[in-house]
Amino acid sequence: MIKFKAHKKLSSSTGPSQLDVAFELEQGKLLTIYGSSGAGKTTILRIIAGLTRAESGYVEANNEAWFNSAKNINLPAAKRSVGLVFQDFALFPNLTIRENLEFALQKGDDKKLLDELLELMELQQLQHMKPGILSGGQKQRVALARAIVRKPAILLLDEPLSALDDAMRYKLQDMIIKVHRNYKLTTILVSHHLPEIYRLSDEVICLEKGLIQKQGKPSVVFTEQKISGKFKVTGEIIEIIPADIVFIVSVLCANEIIKVVATASEVKELRTGQKVMVASKAFNPVIIKLGDS
Amino acid sequence: MIDWQPLLLTLKLSLITTAVLFFIAVPFAYWLAYSRFKIKAIFEAVVSLPLVLPPSVLGFYLLLAFSPANAFGKFLDHYFNVRLVFTFPGLVVASVLYSLPFMVHPIKSGLKNLSPSLKEAAYTLGKSRFTTLTRILLPNIRPALLTGIVLSFAHTIGEFGVVLMIGGNIPAETRVASLAIYDEVQAMNYHVANMYSLILFTFSFIILLAVYLFNHHFSKADPLQ
Amino acid sequence: MNTIPGKIFHIITEDNISLVKVKAGDIIFTSIVLDTPGTSPYLSNGNSVSVNFKETEVIIAKTWPLEISVQNRVQCVIKNITHGKILCQVDLVAGEFNIQSVITNNACQQLNLNAGDKVVALIKTNEVSLSYND
Repeated sequence: MIKFKAHKKLSSSTGPSQLDVAFELEQGKLLTIYGSSGAGKTTILRIIAGLTRAESGYVEANNEAWFNSAKNINLPAAKRSVGLVFQDFALFPNLTIRENLEFALQKGDDKKLLDELLELMELQQLQHMKPGILSGGQKQRVALARAIVRKPAILLLDEPLSALDDAMRYKLQDMIIKVHRNYKLTTILVSHHLPEIYRLSDEVICLEKGLIQKQGKPSVVFTEQKISGKFKVTGEIIEIIPADIVFIVSVLCANEIIKVVATASEVKELRTGQKVMVASKAFNPVIIKLGDS
Repeated sequence: MIDWQPLLLTLKLSLITTAVLFFIAVPFAYWLAYSRFKIKAIFEAVVSLPLVLPPSVLGFYLLLAFSPANAFGKFLDHYFNVRLVFTFPGLVVASVLYSLPFMVHPIKSGLKNLSPSLKEAAYTLGKSRFTTLTRILLPNIRPALLTGIVLSFAHTIGEFGVVLMIGGNIPAETRVASLAIYDEVQAMNYHVANMYSLILFTFSFIILLAVYLFNHHFSKADPLQ
Repeated sequence: MNTIPGKIFHIITEDNISLVKVKAGDIIFTSIVLDTPGTSPYLSNGNSVSVNFKETEVIIAKTWPLEISVQNRVQCVIKNITHGKILCQVDLVAGEFNIQSVITNNACQQLNLNAGDKVVALIKTNEVSLSYND
């Protein structure tokens, strides 16, 4: 169980604001923090890891106080059982992949987990190389493996997949799911990619200017209006073009483009780039078999 | 045949100065690079003074400070039985102060140019500040360390004003190569002066060349640098 | 999308399918949904919901009565018709509610629809979805 409450001044490009956030996270769950840049997402991770100090509040992991402003407790980062995957991966350029992972081991730690992780993340072939020559996806896997070597009480992922293309993103989402389940990790992910949030998270917090706007299951949080339709996908509008007196709205959902007819009055409230839900009744879609399987 | 004593003395002084300087400059540069202490600007200014002051000014004040007639010199003499004026140890102390910016500046900017996430990543992996410094930070600023070491070494070789003021010109004790050259020129022994000069010139050129070649190779081999 | 507010007054559930009747003013809408009062607490008599259906799913009939399987039948008056090259949008008024229908121009011409005409709007039960707000 992770308990978090923090108050801190934020300064971002959009001007100063106050971070004022409290939440609890059960063991083994994956929470996503969603919000625009400058909302304070990364600051929350840094406060948990002990890299940034909150003005007031507390951080508690499995009944151990890491930070408590009232009791004047503030464990240094090195004393907190966290694994943090940085946006820029922060791999040590002077060490090989294997040495990067070994660096995370404490005295007397079992090296079995290290070999297991190298295999799980498909890194055995690369283990004796330096990080400088790796691709983004490979660096990402190394950073994830390194963060898990210590079996942290909490795994923090700071927009880990934002620099990757869709295919690599999907593969790494699989890996995150795999390690999260295998090692029964409690994980906090910062992401603004809706399909990713839907796939990975048990719970999501929408953060805006330092405050929690919404919290709950992704399907609930990202659905403004609860609708009885069973055929629902979320996506982003990529194009709105007129067709006679109606309009055709193209919505990118995962890797597919869905086209939906909308009337002029509906289109007035839509713009490209907007996140939307496409819904239909379960009675309308038809199912067609693919291939000869 | 020339007298090798001054050259050996220069070499010895440069090696000792560089070694001492390295161990002083690393923690100092670390502090300057990462501290958010406001008065750090004062220390930055003090470190850079030897770059702009005539060496004779520095030598003059050190001479006053080290002199047994004054408080600091008296204190050293009385309690530690150490005399820094006109002695080799005094020369080392003066050289360390004089070459301080040449060691501190490259290390400080090396550390500042590293992504802060490297340091933070090491902390979150349970490592102390010391382990982080020795295993992660220093190995990743190797070119900066090398630059600092070589510049300090070469700069000490070329010292004149400071060593003259603080060391006097005592053969086998404080008479380094640069002073010997001056003496030989005064005595119209141009041939010997030329020998000393040529040796210093060649030696300095070769180590600088080696550094640039190495750093060039290093930055090519490792794109992260 | 046509959105009409109303109240649930009748629910029949079998396995995972529910037939829900909603009263909006004097109009009764019937919707079929893959939810049950057990899985979706909003399905309860007296609850306020919105009845939703797409403009393109609204059929227009002129002569009445008509023997037809469509369950949702709304007596309307045509307020306005906007013609495109292929499609046209028919704005209908049913009591206090506005309903829009998008049909082809051909259909509009065949029925000789004009503003002020009395018509019946027809929507299949499985085209009607329900939504609710917290």
